[in-house]
Parts: sequence; C-alpha cells; structure tokens
Amino acid sequence: MFRQLQTRFGGPLAMAIVTLLGGWLIVMVALPQLQMIEYSLKPNLLPAQLGGPEDRLTLANYATLLANDIHRAIFFKTLWSSVLVTLLTLAVSYPLAWYLAKVATPRQAALCILLLIVPFWINEILRTYSWFIILAFRGPLNEVLMMLGLIERPIRFLNGNGGVMVGMVYAYILFMVFPVYNAIESLDDNQVRAARDLGAGTVRTHRRIVIPHAKPGIATGCIMTFMLAAGSYAVPALLGSPGSRWFTQIIYNWFFEGGNWNQGAAYAFLLLILCIGFMSLVMKIFKVGLGDIGK
Amino acid sequence: MDGSVRLDEVVMRFGDFTAIEKTSLAIGSGEFFSFLGPSGCGKTTLLNIVSGFLTPSEGQVVIGGEPMAGVPVNRRPTAMIFQNLALFPLMSVFENIEFGLEVRGVDKRRRREASERLLALVALEGSGPKRVTELSGGQKQRVAIARALAVEPRVLLLDEPLSALDLKLRQHMRAELKAIQRKTGITFIYITHDQGEALTMSDRVAVMSAGRIQQVADPMTLYREPATGFVAAFVGENNRIQGRVIDREGERVRLDGGALGELAGRASSETRLANGEAAVLFVRPEHLRPVAAGVAGPRFDTEIEAVHFEGAWIMLETRLVASGEKLRVQLGHEVSRNQADALAVGQRMAFAYDPIDAVVLPDDGSPVLDDDTGEVVESGRAKAGGAHV
Amino acid sequence: MSSQRFLAFGLRFYVVVFFAYLFLPLMIMAAATFNDSRFPTVTPWDGTTLRWFGELAADGGMWQALGNSLIVAAGVLVVAVPIGIATALFLNTVSSRAKPFLYALILSPLLTPGVIIGISTLIFWRQWGVSGGIFLTVLGQATFIAAYVMLMVTARLQRFDRTLERAALDLGASPWQAFRRVLLPYLKPAILSAAVIAFLQSFENYNTTLFVVGYDTTLTVYIASKVRTGLTPAVNALGLILILFTVVIAVVYEIKRRRETARSVKGV
Repeated sequence: MFRQLQTRFGGPLAMAIVTLLGGWLIVMVALPQLQMIEYSLKPNLLPAQLGGPEDRLTLANYATLLANDIHRAIFFKTLWSSVLVTLLTLAVSYPLAWYLAKVATPRQAALCILLLIVPFWINEILRTYSWFIILAFRGPLNEVLMMLGLIERPIRFLNGNGGVMVGMVYAYILFMVFPVYNAIESLDDNQVRAARDLGAGTVRTHRRIVIPHAKPGIATGCIMTFMLAAGSYAVPALLGSPGSRWFTQIIYNWFFEGGNWNQGAAYAFLLLILCIGFMSLVMKIFKVGLGDIGK
Repeated sequence: MDGSVRLDEVVMRFGDFTAIEKTSLAIGSGEFFSFLGPSGCGKTTLLNIVSGFLTPSEGQVVIGGEPMAGVPVNRRPTAMIFQNLALFPLMSVFENIEFGLEVRGVDKRRRREASERLLALVALEGSGPKRVTELSGGQKQRVAIARALAVEPRVLLLDEPLSALDLKLRQHMRAELKAIQRKTGITFIYITHDQGEALTMSDRVAVMSAGRIQQVADPMTLYREPATGFVAAFVGENNRIQGRVIDREGERVRLDGGALGELAGRASSETRLANGEAAVLFVRPEHLRPVAAGVAGPRFDTEIEAVHFEGAWIMLETRLVASGEKLRVQLGHEVSRNQADALAVGQRMAFAYDPIDAVVLPDDGSPVLDDDTGEVVESGRAKAGGAHV
Repeated sequence: MSSQRFLAFGLRFYVVVFFAYLFLPLMIMAAATFNDSRFPTVTPWDGTTLRWFGELAADGGMWQALGNSLIVAAGVLVVAVPIGIATALFLNTVSSRAKPFLYALILSPLLTPGVIIGISTLIFWRQWGVSGGIFLTVLGQATFIAAYVMLMVTARLQRFDRTLERAALDLGASPWQAFRRVLLPYLKPAILSAAVIAFLQSFENYNTTLFVVGYDTTLTVYIASKVRTGLTPAVNALGLILILFTVVIAVVYEIKRRRETARSVKGV
C-alpha cells in the first residue's frame, strides 16, 4: 500500500498521508472506542482499589440495564421512537425528493435545494429551540388551536414523546431528503415513462420502479436518521420533560451526575450496538453495502 | 548523449500475461520511428517502458548510449505527447509550456523566451495568456507539442496524439509533425493504429501484433515486401489466397491454387518455402486489373457482389466462381467511364495481376483481421482452405 | 388523466406546505426576538422592541462562549482538513485487499452517534490526564468532521484525470511538484468547500461537544443551557444573528459552488 502512495506522491508526502490517516484511525477512532468497551467491562472503583482484587473484567455494568426497569423501558422507548421518527421522516421526505428529482424544472429544483440547504446549515439547537417556542404551553400553536375552537384549554405538548418526535423529524429531515433525492435523480426518466406507458399507475410505478432504484438512498437516509435520533441529546433535552427521557440522557447522567463512567460506557456501547444493529438490518433488507452509503 | 534509443531483450509481463515478448530494437538519433499495430498489441506498453512509466520485467532501455534502468520518469531525456494531450486545464498556455522549465528552476525571463519561441514554432504566436480550455482541438495539439519540446527532449514520444482530431485536421497535423521533426532533429517515436499516419510520416515502422514486433522496415518495404502474413493483412489491404508450393525459381514461386488452378507470386530470398508446403498468396485489391475472359495466365473469374463508388476509385466485392471465396478489387483510372457505368451486381468479371506484385508467404496461421475494425477475428490456420480478405 | 392532474396538484401543494413547515418555526423564533415580553413567544404580542439585542451584547458569558466556539472551529479545521485530504488521497491511490475494511473504519465516525464519539474521546484521554475542555472538543469534533472532509474531497478526486500527473512527471516534475502544481490546485475548490462545511459543523455541534467540553462552554452549549435555565428572548436575538450569518455563508457558498460547477462543465 505504501509503495503505491510513494510512487504517486513521493516519500515525504506518502509518509505524511500515512501518518495523518493512521493517527486519525488509531488514536481518534479505534483506540477510544476500544477503551470505551474496556471501561464498560470494569467496575467503578476508587483509585486506591485499582489493581486490587476487584479490578477485573465483569459484565455487571450491562446487567444493570436488565435489572433496572426504568432504564430498560427508556432503552426500548428510545429504540421504538427512533424507528418511528425514521419512518415518519421517510414518509415526509419521499414526496419532496420525488418532486425535486423528477417533477420540478431544473430552475425550481435548484431554488428548492438552496431553500433546503439553508435550514440544514442552521444549528440543530436553534432548530429545536424554534419548536420549543411553538409548542410552549402559551405558545402560538396552542393559541391557534384555541382560536380555531379545536381545543378549549392549552395542551402541554412539551410533556411527552410527541414533542420530542416532532422536533426530531424537523431536525433530521434533510439527512433523509438529500440521499433519497440523489438516488431518485439518477433514475432514467424513460423508465418512469415506460412504466406509465405500460399502464402502471402512480403507486405501482413507485413501488416497482422508483423505490427499488432509490434503495441505496433510502437505506442511507434511514441509517443516518435513526443514528441521529437514537443518539440525540439536544432534542429530548430541549423538548422533553423528565417523564420522557431519552437513553442518551441516562448515559449523560451516569457520566456527569452519577459519576460512574464505567456504567456510562456500558450504556454508550449498548447504544452503539443498537445503531450498528439497525444499520446491518437496513443494509440487509435493502441489500446495499457500505460502499453505497458513502455517496 | 544523442537521441538514439535501444531496446535490449526487453520483456514485459503483468502477472501471467506477457504484454511484450523478448524484443530488441535500435532506433537511430533523429529518426521518425513508428510503432503500428491494433489495440492491445503492446505498443503503448513499449512506449511506457521507454518513457519510464513502466519498468521492464527483463532487459533494458538505452537512450543516447546510457542505460535507463533506475532512472525515473522525471529524469529521462524523453517527453511524451499523450493521447488525450493532458494539458493542465487550470494553467494558461504559457504556464503549460513553461511547466517543465519551471520545475527545473529556470528563471521566469528565460522561461518566457523559450515559450515565445516555441509558440512561434507551432504557429500560435500571441496565444500564451489564453486558458487552454479556450483553445480549439488543433490548437491544443500544438500547445501539447510545444510543451513537450520545451524541456528539450532527445526523444519525443507520441501516443496516438492525432486520434482525437477530425480527418482534415489530422492530415494537416501529419505534415506539420513531420516538419517539426525535421526542423528540430529530435528522435520521434510515434504510436498509432492508423497505418496512414505511420506510412506517411515515418522513416521506419515497426509493425506489432500480440506483444511481438512482426517487421521493422521503411514504409515502402512494408507495403511491397511484408515479412509475415500479419503485416501483409494489416498494412494496406490484401486478398489472401491459400495454395501449395509447386516450385520456386529465384524469387518467383508457382502455387497450386486448387480449384483456382496454377497461381504465381514472388517471395523474397529470406522467405523459406519448401515444395509442397502450404502457402498463402497475397494480392492487393489495387493490383488486380480487369481482363477479357479466356486470356492465358493466372486469372480470377469472379461474380460481382457489390460495387462501392469511392470517388477516386471503385471498390468491388466479388466472389471467386471456382471456390466461392471473396475477392476485393480496387479499380482506378484503368477503367473507362463506360466500363465503370456498366459495373453491376451479378456481372461476371475476370481479373489478373502481375506476379511481381503478389507476395507468397508460408501459411503461418497469421490472424485474419476484420475489415472494419482491424481487430483479429480468426486465426488463418483455424479455418482450412479458401481465400480470405 | 384527471386523477393524474389531481396528484400533480397535490404534490405541488405538499411542497409548499413542506417549505412552510421548514421555515415557519425559524420565522416564529426570529419574530419572538422583537416581542417586548419577558418570555420568548409571539403570543401575546406585547409591543415591539430591540432591547434583547442590547441584553445579548451585554452578556459576557455569551461572548466567552463565542470565543471558545471560534477557537474550537479553527482547531478542527487545522486537524480535520489535512486528515480528510490525506484519507481521500489514500483511498484514491491504494488498491489492496485490506481496503474494504479500512473504508468501513474510515466511514465509522459518520455512522456513530455523536455522543459516543464524545464519550470515547473523554474516556481515552483521561488515562493521559487530559480532561474535558477545548483541546478534547477539537479532537472529538475532528474525529467525525474529518470523514465529511474526506467525502467531499473524494467526490472531486474521482473526476481527476491521472494522466495529468503522468504528464507532469514526464515533463520533469518530482512527485511532490506534480502534487503541488497539478493535483492540489485541482482539489482547491473541494478543499475550500470542505473547510467551510467543517467550520459550520464544528460551530454548531452539540452532541459530541457536550461530553468533552468540560468547564469551557461553546456557543451551542451555552444556548442549550440558556434554554433550560434563564430563558429570555436574548436567546432568540442570538439565534437570529446566527441564522442570518449562516444564511449569508450558505448562499455565498452555493453561488460560488454553482459558478465553479458551471465553469468546470464548460471547460471539459
């Protein structure tokens, strides 16, 4: 491998490339993850106990989740809610991606993409915060609903999962729109025309032609959205209540309130496994590889 | 150090595949030398070995008397003109031409002098500040030449540089390249699959096939005295008629053409032919002339299958009555207007040739080329008997 | 046919609603900045004011956090951009049986939740006595931002004609000169775009930063803490300024990028 780099870039630059890449992958990516796993397998000890008889590998930190009903419930709630957020986001994004890729004129599409990019570049915290204002007890949404006579007294939107999920769909929607759009865009228009021409209706055209073609994009969008949702701290922290905690918040508490990093590491690793599991599942269902995801 | 190039027993292998069989060759300083062959014959590989992009598996390259083993691309006294020209798109014409001098640390004033002089040589005065993307195909071609000449190479390597141009421009650039070569006295090594380019410009041509040099000769000799069946079929056009040697007297050879009767041709003193051996007679379409039926001597009786009017000449596709094989005939000024008008599909016609123009070679199973693509379609030995075009 | 037309109309309507959904919340947030109410809202409207901008300007903690954010972003650029370029060059050059494995490892920071990158960085550096702060924030963010840089540089690198490098070598350039004079100028637009994106990614990062920032505070962390404790419309004022700032960068960047694309299409 080094020879190829050396031939192309010369010795010094090849060295620099290998050093940067190696330093990143080893010191910043691989070792910290391995260290986290090792941490998760150790009990939380006082400095004096390190190296003592209790300093050994154990699965106790993982057992905590099984023993703690509340944490377990939050773990699964995080899982299901993230799946739901992913599906909702896909449902909301797909028609737009289709419109951008195949219906809009090039000028319209260019304008729409610019309009999409702008909020995409705005801080996740700010995007979430804007919903905090809308969903507030005395906020504009309640006012509008009461004015329309749909409700008689304001609803506490910020009290349950609903607010969190709405905020997440809003925050992560563009991670779904862009991959799906890119995938649909590469579909040959004639295929759609041919399907129509052969008598396929809208639903069948999408189910048989467009969606199969857009699979890599849909898979990428779903993987990214799920990962962002399950791993989100900002949205549940801002839009949730103590009663609707997210698994990331439990992890945070282990680190900065419970002071038990080992326990926190175990939970973090579980979250990572959850994401990897979801990713593998999606890649299997959609029959796509890692190579398709980088695009 | 002069501009001579020598290949000493060069072999190139990629894994199990041998791209270049053992090849030795000497190219003189100041020579315009071409490698001619179909795609995949190994000519580009040879060029890359000379330029230093590839290191030969065996043997060595010697340029100007100095062995090039271990000398990297950027230290060799060669410059290459790439098939896609590879002009640097983000640089101006000046910057492109001066690039080689810049990386050698030549100061700006002298670089500019050199590039102005070269732009004049390629007739592009005043184009220096332009971006290369603003240039036409022919202009880009000239910039590529100027850029390669700027580093004062002893050997200029040209990898099918004209293939991207249209026909008119291509023919014009042939003359121009030849003129530049004469003016500069630099050794040109030219790679092409276009025999027109190779024959018109070169002092000598090496015809290559399947990693092997088939023949090295000046263009006239290649045409008149092909050394192998491949050269006979690839350079110019040839009808291929199989037979058996009856006897040989000096250069003159008599063949038994089976149903075609007795045929005659010429074999050079280097061609070994035993009596009774299978041999092939090569007759070019342009060497066949119409004769009245019943005239004595070697003669082909045919039926016309197609008439292609090409302007300066007429190409006939005919079929030999005796054997049913195809024979292509090119008619030029020797047919009168009336005769030409009378040519019709289905008409019977007889053709004769001068045995001096017909070359006899042993039937070496040399490959048969497709008319349109020049690609190998079958091995001559695989198909028994008959005449091939 | 009429059902087709109905669907087409429905789709257009949907697109309009979608963009309203995308922008309305941001507009409401911006509007609340100018409401003379102690709490950030647009209902009821208690009169128009600019005083929240003044309060924001007087907020020392905000300025401190902004300074930290800029330092972190600069640090991330210095770390992540060279790594991203090197990785792109590596992937573009090397062919090896180990490559798929390496590629998975290289992409993994993009597929790992930000909180986990923060946590693993925090844990890893504890053994060297480094605790949360600006240094770890730079490292944590750069871990995944480098992968974004890699993707952007790779996209352009894949369209590079490597004959140009060969031509440079053939004309006598050293491999370094060929890189410096031919490949690097070609990659420049992608590197600049990647730098802009990396800067913004760093500036607005929250999930990773939260775990590694320690007692230092970046602007995003500061905003989040303000929302939860001591919320006033000054937060909206800050949000509005950041949005305008982002919009300007986004629009300039997009226009530049399109001009670049148009030029490269014309050039070929």
